[in-house]
Amino acid sequence: MDAAAIPGGERSVLERSPLARLPDRALKYGLTALAALILALIVYFFIRLVGQARPAFAKEGVASFAFGNDWNISAERFGALPLLVGTLITSVLALLIGVPVAVAAAVYATELCPLRLRTPLTLLVELLAAVPSVVYGLWGIFFLAPKLQGAEQWVADRLSLIPFIGGGLVTIPNYFITGLVLAIMILPIVSAISREVMSTVPVDHKEAALALGATRWEMIRLAVLPYCRSGIVGGAMLGLGRAIGETIAVTILIGDAPRLGHHLFAQGYSLAAAIANEFGEAQGVHRSALFAAGLVLFVLTLLVNAVARLLVSRAARANSSGAPVGSQAAGGMTALADTAAGA
Amino acid sequence: MIKNKMGALASCAVLTLGLAACGSSNSSSTSSSTTASTSSASATISGAGSTFAAPVYEQWASALSGLTVNYQAVGSGAGITSLESKTVDFGASDPPLKAADEEALAKNGSPAVEIPMFLGAITVSYNLPGVKAGMKLDGKTIADIYLGKVKTWNDPEIKALNSGISLPSTPITVIHRSDSSGTTDGFTGFLAKVDPEWKSKIGEGKTVQWPTGTGEKGNAGVAGGVQQTTGAIGYVEQAYALEHNFTYASVKNKAGNFVEPTLESTSAAAEGITVPANLGFKISNPTAPKAYPITSQTFIVLNKDLCKAGTPGGEAAAKGVVKFLQYGLGEGQAILSKADYAALPAAILAKSKEAVAGLQCNGAAIG
Amino acid sequence: MSAFGAPGERSESGQLARYAVSPARRRKDRLARGGILACTVIALIPLALIVYYLLRKGLGAWSTSFFTTDPTGNTFFGGSSIGGIKSAILGTVEIVALASAIAVPTGVGVAVWLVEYGRISWFAQTVRFFVDVLTGVPSIVFGLFVYIVLVVGTGSSYAGYKGSIALALLMLPVVIRSAEVILLLVPAALRESALALGAPRWRVIFNIVLPTALPGMVTGVLLAVARAAGETAPLLFTAAYTQKTNFNLGGFMNSLPVQIYKDVTSPTTAVVNRAWGAALALVTMILLLNLIARLIARRSRLA
Repeated sequence: MDAAAIPGGERSVLERSPLARLPDRALKYGLTALAALILALIVYFFIRLVGQARPAFAKEGVASFAFGNDWNISAERFGALPLLVGTLITSVLALLIGVPVAVAAAVYATELCPLRLRTPLTLLVELLAAVPSVVYGLWGIFFLAPKLQGAEQWVADRLSLIPFIGGGLVTIPNYFITGLVLAIMILPIVSAISREVMSTVPVDHKEAALALGATRWEMIRLAVLPYCRSGIVGGAMLGLGRAIGETIAVTILIGDAPRLGHHLFAQGYSLAAAIANEFGEAQGVHRSALFAAGLVLFVLTLLVNAVARLLVSRAARANSSGAPVGSQAAGGMTALADTAAGA
Repeated sequence: MIKNKMGALASCAVLTLGLAACGSSNSSSTSSSTTASTSSASATISGAGSTFAAPVYEQWASALSGLTVNYQAVGSGAGITSLESKTVDFGASDPPLKAADEEALAKNGSPAVEIPMFLGAITVSYNLPGVKAGMKLDGKTIADIYLGKVKTWNDPEIKALNSGISLPSTPITVIHRSDSSGTTDGFTGFLAKVDPEWKSKIGEGKTVQWPTGTGEKGNAGVAGGVQQTTGAIGYVEQAYALEHNFTYASVKNKAGNFVEPTLESTSAAAEGITVPANLGFKISNPTAPKAYPITSQTFIVLNKDLCKAGTPGGEAAAKGVVKFLQYGLGEGQAILSKADYAALPAAILAKSKEAVAGLQCNGAAIG
Repeated sequence: MSAFGAPGERSESGQLARYAVSPARRRKDRLARGGILACTVIALIPLALIVYYLLRKGLGAWSTSFFTTDPTGNTFFGGSSIGGIKSAILGTVEIVALASAIAVPTGVGVAVWLVEYGRISWFAQTVRFFVDVLTGVPSIVFGLFVYIVLVVGTGSSYAGYKGSIALALLMLPVVIRSAEVILLLVPAALRESALALGAPRWRVIFNIVLPTALPGMVTGVLLAVARAAGETAPLLFTAAYTQKTNFNLGGFMNSLPVQIYKDVTSPTTAVVNRAWGAALALVTMILLLNLIARLIARRSRLA
């Protein structure tokens, strides 16, 4: 192409001098170096922690540490299963309760909300993120847990035939209340990311659906949600990470019983809570057992994230490689849904 | 316009980075000068350890002018570890030093010294409307409650000790600590001493496998749990219980008397006990007639020759630590009763003062 | 006219065939929208409860001296001699500012690289993989890592900037992840049209992609900052605790979460009140930060 023919007089890329190409190169290599540096830092992080955890693994063996059901400090036995199960139960609960509510709030804020309420609503949900974790723990144990204890006991009694949920004595600190407060804690981040993602849905998608006769809900279900799927999952993964790693609120709310709780409203323990509780007084093998517990957490997060990434990697790839925005077939809600799901 | 905004944001970031870098460039990673004070008139010392003793050390620190004390209440274990790695000038521990810790500290170039500072007690607090005072319990009964063998307040075992009180049939809700703590150590230590069944089944320690009961975090958690639940029983640090006017039981001591956890009875617990040469004593089911049996102690731990051992604050800090200790063992003792902590008996206090006098900096005694 | 009018068919009043929507669909629509509204209200209830609780417990502690004096250890002489939370506020501001200055540019840089350059290469997948794992690390482990490497490892003492590093590590995966999500949503057409006009890659990134993504990224960054400002565990073993105001990040530095955590377990009621007052102050500060940052972000949004 002739350089003079380009409006603005800018030269074409091919004709640019090496000096002009320098910022591009510098940026590319600079950012690559940065990414490599971060990777190296994270790897170093793991290496140091594995080093600290080694004595515990040497004593117990990796499998017996991760799946042994006996966390007994005075006897120096370190089987982390009660901790692992506690982390899993509370995090899953947090996701089950928190993500639907967060996504619903995001949908409301972007699609259904009167315009002038949008910003205040957004701010209010994000205000939840401003509360420090220790305040969540204290509010939970001194305010929420006692208030809910009656209702929890009622549920446990009514559903006593269902294993795990019913049939036990409800203690004030328990798995359920921990999961509930964790759900509240992850609400802002899941909601905020979902909202940001939803606000970038191309208006044409939405209008096409409405023009074809979809109700508001159908439009959301077919045009908005599929488009945002990978973003929402990304937000949910961040929320899950927060739930798995939350330390102080969980130690206060879960009861710190180094046993497998037998039902939803029993006390339990979690990996992060164990570390926070015991590190101050831990010495020797106990200390390295706590680092080993941290490693179990990494593996857990790793597995969950790998699965999630797998599920959306196809969608993410399609997005970034630039599926042209205007390529939807006209007419027919099915075609729209197909394209949206594949984009 | 966009470019200007981005440029503005970017330069803000750079400026902050620059300011922060300036601020942090003063600190090198050598152990000599890391603490902050800009004016050389006031020395800065740092300590870490026992959460139990923290309020008192902070009160002493406020009373001293010309000295800044940065105390981290991270727990006795972490305090000793910090001292071992020369992160702080002194450590604070509730249990006396173990042999392994003494060795590790000696590796820093000077033997370890532990100085008893004051005493505290653990109350057995409960929530039973209608029984506001006069509850008597002994070690075995408490152990049986915590083992889950005694389930209601009108159990024969409790009745036998409290013939004058009418006890309701309310079930007992047992509350214990969920986090690792010296309070649990002291409580279980007492139970292990007086009840062989407890000793063999559960043992003692900062954390144990509780056979029954609800775990709550910290003294505040146990206290809150006791207050919220009718029929609850929990072990709460004396300072906490006295400050908040809890209802607590009097406990039978070795001499056979039922003693309430007052400051006097706590101090009495340390009367007449054998104090080893390194001053690392541990009160366990004391024999004195007026003693409250569930009592604990707390120490400040340091190396005998602070400067030689590489104390991070240097010579100024060494002098500051001695000033702090002299104040604490002298005028500072007057605050203890206000704070609801118990003072050491005179004999042990004198030994502590001697130990402080023996502290050195590079061979020279500190003034 | 049939109940299900053909598309485009108009009724006598000129309206399009609204009743082309079956009653079943309409019911579902109403139900779904009601459910969504209910969920939104549910999301706001805890906030109302917590704010009310915080105000009830913390507002009483607020006074001018609360914000202008340092905390003292004078807990046993009663009255106002327990001091305020000045050093904690200043400490939090400094530590979090430094942590953000480290984490935000780095995080955004890595996210840009992942979206623009790395994409699906094995190297990028590895980076994503490790960043993902980092999102689940408990906050205390970051503190312990810095403790092992920078405090015990170098034999030196606690320092404010070490706390900042621990917080930056905490913020980093959140910033990277959320920035990546937002950047991926910038339409490829936008980039391609800029490139087609001859703009160099770096200009496309700085002048087109980043400003478009800015409002979304600001949200993610603010959430990361809010989290960092409220975390206690990473600071316990790194920046530690001190009472006097200290501007030097190289020394011990106080912070609001540590002060709250320490005070809330105290037997003295006045000290506990101070803790709640501090918690209220922290929430207020973060709210203000949120508002200010949004205002800035809105100004720089592409029209």
